[in-house]
Amino acid sequence: MDIGDSVEEAAFRAEARAWLEQHAPHRDPTKRHKQSSTDTEQDVHAQACRDWQRVLYDGGWAGLTWPKRFGGRGGTPWQAAIFGEEQSKFDVATGAFAVAHGMVAPTLMMHGTDEQRGYLDAMLRGDEVWCQLFSEPEAGSDLANIGTRAVLDGGEWIINGQKVWTSGAQHSEFAILLARTDPDAPKHAGITYFILDMNSPGIEVRPLRQITGVAHFNEVFLTDVRIPVANVVGEVNAGWKIAHTTLSNERALIGGGNTAWSIQELIEMARHYGRTNDPVVRQGIAKAHSRAAVLQYMGYRLRTSISRGEMPGVVASTMKLFYARHWAQTTGLALTIQGANGALWGDSALDDGLWQQTFLGQYAVRLGGGTDEIQGNVIGERALGLPREPAADRDLPWRETRGSTR
Amino acid sequence: MNFDISDEQKVVSDLARQIFEGHASVERVKYIEREGDGFDRDLWSELAKANLLGLCIPEDDGGSGFGLVELGLILEEQGRRVAPVPVWATLALGALPIAEFGTAAQRAQWLPGVCAGDVVLSAALNERGADDALRPLTTATRTANGWHLKGFKPTVPAAQFAQRVLVTARQDDGRIGVFLLDPTQAGVVVEPVRATNHQPHAHLVIDTVVSAEDRLGGPEGDGEEQIHFILERALVGLCALQLGVCGAAIEQTAAYTSGRLQFSKPLSTFQAVGHQAADAFILTEPMRVTMLQAAWRLMHGLPSRQEVLIAKYWASEGGQKVVHLCQHLHGGMGSDIDYPIHRYFLWGVQIESTLGAGSAQLARIGELIAREGR
Repeated sequence: MDIGDSVEEAAFRAEARAWLEQHAPHRDPTKRHKQSSTDTEQDVHAQACRDWQRVLYDGGWAGLTWPKRFGGRGGTPWQAAIFGEEQSKFDVATGAFAVAHGMVAPTLMMHGTDEQRGYLDAMLRGDEVWCQLFSEPEAGSDLANIGTRAVLDGGEWIINGQKVWTSGAQHSEFAILLARTDPDAPKHAGITYFILDMNSPGIEVRPLRQITGVAHFNEVFLTDVRIPVANVVGEVNAGWKIAHTTLSNERALIGGGNTAWSIQELIEMARHYGRTNDPVVRQGIAKAHSRAAVLQYMGYRLRTSISRGEMPGVVASTMKLFYARHWAQTTGLALTIQGANGALWGDSALDDGLWQQTFLGQYAVRLGGGTDEIQGNVIGERALGLPREPAADRDLPWRETRGSTR
Repeated sequence: MNFDISDEQKVVSDLARQIFEGHASVERVKYIEREGDGFDRDLWSELAKANLLGLCIPEDDGGSGFGLVELGLILEEQGRRVAPVPVWATLALGALPIAEFGTAAQRAQWLPGVCAGDVVLSAALNERGADDALRPLTTATRTANGWHLKGFKPTVPAAQFAQRVLVTARQDDGRIGVFLLDPTQAGVVVEPVRATNHQPHAHLVIDTVVSAEDRLGGPEGDGEEQIHFILERALVGLCALQLGVCGAAIEQTAAYTSGRLQFSKPLSTFQAVGHQAADAFILTEPMRVTMLQAAWRLMHGLPSRQEVLIAKYWASEGGQKVVHLCQHLHGGMGSDIDYPIHRYFLWGVQIESTLGAGSAQLARIGELIAREGR
């Protein structure tokens, strides 16, 4: 074990810091950014992500852990962590590329053809944003029940169906898509993993206005959309296993993410509202601080395991579940500290309603990337070796399952 | 940076597991509980033979010079078998402070014996009515030939087997001192008491004189610094024990609920059961990472107060929830003392409250972060 910066790591940190100082504006720690709530704000944010990603690319800092042959820097997970820590002190964002860099890229590196890996450069350069077309109205936790159909027609697949809960679809150039290619096979064995150009005819994106006031998610309707056969990732009907690579990376991405607040802000808030002598508030803040420490240390473990080339399976699920609970408990505490003011909203509330928005946003974290309960199942089966829950439809042809009836 | 244990540490952990699994079977633990005095001396001498008792003692004092992370790994393995030996008391409460602060004579007198398995040590950190080990109520008055110690020290682990107990006291000059007391000497009453986890503890009623040479670190020794040092090792040691207790309890619970059929299927395939087991796992991982973080920082002499408190918060709060979950998921078997899971429950709740339960740690964490603004 060695938890501190080594000499090399310290040098890397200094180098990163120096470059950031030259290329990025400092973050004003007293100014808070809530999630963009209007469509214009969202467009501005997405463009800012593209611009900053291009600066990173030109400076040789994009794709820190990506192998050099894919245009990355070939660095270690620790260097990525160090760069992330330093970058967080500056007023820049890369969130629009979370799906592309965190989920699509590792999947294409592992399973893509050389031609498909050609997409990596544009997403690294900040030119192309990606989204994930997995969930459907009838396929949430039971993702393998997707009903979007893909039918081969000469050199192209024709796609018909509906996707939902798609982050950032309105800003995306490309998508990864799961569709059913063999309805007569059992549900896990008839799914194919596609790359979809979001500018193709037949795609309609409808934003979902959420309880937080933001339209982060979308419904995506696919009508006779054509995908060339070269855009199948892996083998036809073998997409489920590839989806696992994406999902596992999604959990690591969510669980390893930074929270939008620091404990210091909660302490300041408690001072502001005169609650620092309230034992419940004091205990709540100390608990939140302890949870933040755990997430930081778990992040170290995750990176250690990734640096050994392991898939982030159990650790990612553990972190994702822990992170979701931390989010829920801490944002709830923030509203408790605000007392009656906690019930205000938007401009009327503290920090333009940031805390209310984050509190309500907990459900995106708790449900997205596999619900708390799905993570519980993963941990039971993979960490504890519990037998899998019996499922009546596992070996039936998908067409004959109740899930397939619409 | 590397957050995994090294190959060398893995060897220590494997060796400890081998000894505890080989010599602390359920039957053996039961036998010591029923027939013995709560101290498995055969296991103790096996640990000495394998050089595990001297592992964290400096090479100059006859040990192997490893650190707190390695001690944590040994204690984790002990916790996994709930093995009745005073490793925590002897090493964390006694040997490490003597190695750090002891005079040459004190180190030479006690540490080689610890390595050989001939010496049991402990420390008396509790006081009746006081929850702060930094403010002892026991007094030390200077006499012509040493120090007159007077006070009551409740629930001292393994005191009835110890050759020396480190006793904290307020001196008549206002300073704090730590004294190496022989609990068998005249003027000390050792009252064995029963503890929740059936491990040997005793109250000490002290009204006796120790020689000036028995002040830890000699006349200049800084008692306050010494108590901080002992407390931090004591807390991390408890965290490591609790990690082992919880880790093994979960494994046993997973096996039990997967083997027991109700409604014609394994109990663990009901999500109401499986998710409780997963919750226990989610509570144990924080215990592992916070314990390792605190042990590693202490071992490297880095500021660690917050990290230690955070680790003990998780060991207390998470630990008690884990053992409750495991106890519950064993159904009626949890209450049957012929079945082993209840020992994990008893150890879990004992460790939870030793040297401050979760709420006490939170209060201390709260004070630190409010002050330091970290």
